[in-house]
Amino acid sequence: MKRLLGVALGILTAIGGFVDIGDLVTNAVVGSRFGLSLAWVVLVGVVGICLFANMSGRVAAVSGRATFEVIRERMGARAGLANLTASFLINLMTVTAEIGGIALALQLASGVSYMLWVPFALIAVWLVIWRVKFSIMENVTGLVGLSLVVFAVALFLLKPDWGSLASQALHPSVPSEEGPGTYWYYAIALFGAAMTPYEVFFFSSGAVEERWKVKDLVQSRINVLLGFPLGGFLSLAIAACAAVVLLPAGISVTTLSQVALPVIQAGGQLALAVLILGVVAATFGAALETTLSSGYTLAQFFGWSWGKFRRPAEAARFHVAMIVVLLAGVAVLATGVDPILVTEYSVVFSAIALPLTYLPILIVANDPQYMGKHVNGRAVNIVAFVYLVIILVASVAAIPLMIATGAGA
Amino acid sequence: MRKAKPLPAQDIKPAPRQAGLVLDAQLHLLDRQILDVDGVPVTTVDDVELSGPAPGEPIPEGTEAPHITALLTGAVLGTRIFGGRPPSSRFIRIPWEVVAGVDTVVSLGVRANSLDASWLERWMRDQIIAKIPGGRHDPE
Amino acid sequence: MILNDLLGTDVVDSTGQRLGEVSDVRFALDAAPAQLLSRARMVGVVVCPRTATSFLGYERMDVNQPWPLAQLLRWRHRGSFLVLWEDIAVMGPDGVRLRSEFTAYESTLPR
Repeated sequence: MKRLLGVALGILTAIGGFVDIGDLVTNAVVGSRFGLSLAWVVLVGVVGICLFANMSGRVAAVSGRATFEVIRERMGARAGLANLTASFLINLMTVTAEIGGIALALQLASGVSYMLWVPFALIAVWLVIWRVKFSIMENVTGLVGLSLVVFAVALFLLKPDWGSLASQALHPSVPSEEGPGTYWYYAIALFGAAMTPYEVFFFSSGAVEERWKVKDLVQSRINVLLGFPLGGFLSLAIAACAAVVLLPAGISVTTLSQVALPVIQAGGQLALAVLILGVVAATFGAALETTLSSGYTLAQFFGWSWGKFRRPAEAARFHVAMIVVLLAGVAVLATGVDPILVTEYSVVFSAIALPLTYLPILIVANDPQYMGKHVNGRAVNIVAFVYLVIILVASVAAIPLMIATGAGA
Repeated sequence: MRKAKPLPAQDIKPAPRQAGLVLDAQLHLLDRQILDVDGVPVTTVDDVELSGPAPGEPIPEGTEAPHITALLTGAVLGTRIFGGRPPSSRFIRIPWEVVAGVDTVVSLGVRANSLDASWLERWMRDQIIAKIPGGRHDPE
Repeated sequence: MILNDLLGTDVVDSTGQRLGEVSDVRFALDAAPAQLLSRARMVGVVVCPRTATSFLGYERMDVNQPWPLAQLLRWRHRGSFLVLWEDIAVMGPDGVRLRSEFTAYESTLPR
């Protein structure tokens, strides 16, 4: 039972990767345009993030070193700084989007304009980072975020043609009204979201916050194997709901309320209430994850003292950095930019950050100085190397595809 | 750039065994995390300072080998990435005498607060974080 | 002198023929213990004929996984050798010149 309660870190990490505000909308866009023909990408992404998150957790538990320390140490100052810049911008854009997302969900619930909710969301996120213990933070947001399972329930209530959904997923093809360019652009966007680097930054730093040691390796594996597949499952449920309701109706998704349409159709106001609760928790969780990730990456690159297990005064630069990030995010929102659009461009920076994050993790997970006898097994190395090649191909293709398709428009 | 002439493989002799710990600076020192005696992160190894020899001057045979005098941090990180070199008065030094061990991290035998390298952390703590309510308390 | 002055600079022999670049500087902690650790004495420089970029840890003999990466990096750094301090005639930001009768040693770290 204690083991099962200890999976909050995995769940919270996965929420940021699969169902944060940008992904909520992207998943619905994908479902409404491509049906389930991109479901295989989510599967590939889930396996990839499981593999590398487990490695980063193992490195953290065995050696006590979090992922960005490893990146700086092995890739050197220059490549480390390139990764830091890209990752930091992804974090900042996501923090911005999530604070907007919390406010959008509260607007959906209350009818009060989202701009009025932004300061409230900002203060709530900061207070949790400033004062709340890591374990309480991850348990509450992880658990409440699970109410997004309402998408799966809604899918059952909609009584879809399961055969047709399965054949879309099992025999993927580019829909006739979409070009192969947009199909592959969304494939890369989904893959990049599943493997977004702040997940491993957060997961490995969380392992240090929770003081995992070698005896907790099983715990780490359970976290990974429950959290990320659950995230992938939610992301598929959202896409399937959109494929069943929005695709036939020809609705193209641009707002959060459109994402909610299938759920309302299936379960009415009660389902909507659960959905809003889930979206608030998920965006709140993702805001915490990305704010902390920006602090973790900066602190670990420059060697500052960090961690929520310390008093703020004992990790001063870490906390100052996070305050600056939160304020910068709100400043961006104040310009009136659509928070959902903000995350769309993080694909560009993922192209830089992904290879520079996963290569050093793989190398150090094989380094006996760090790992002793807990180095990677042969099978893990083979699969991880294949993934490294996939990541490189996706990275090289991402920016040209984005330009060619006008970001999937 | 002129192409290097590779040495014939048979001219490369087996390495002499060194007594004691062998450290390759780039591999074992540069960019590693530095922890103080209580395990608190201080900074990273941004560069390493050596004793002698005078740069560019001929080294007389039999000169004693240089040794590491200090680990450096601060502005040297920027110049290592972007090129150039700060004046040595701007180096923040962590003398080799306070280094207690080199493993996956470099551990020191002293507290972070006693070092120049921690001045910015202390400044931010005293001037900003400690002044916000709750800054000196454990998270709950 | 700081390490960054040295890393990546050209290495030439006594006739001026370029042999490669300084890819690392090796130290040994073999003096009598001082306060905490003994002095780190410079043993020599590792010279790589092709690139001074990092070896990513594969200069150690016991590190060879994942196999394709290890092979790739070892191939990039093939022909690397260690020159002892005694064989260095001039050393500085403009490069390293070796003495006429220098000896090249294998640079791989035994463990």
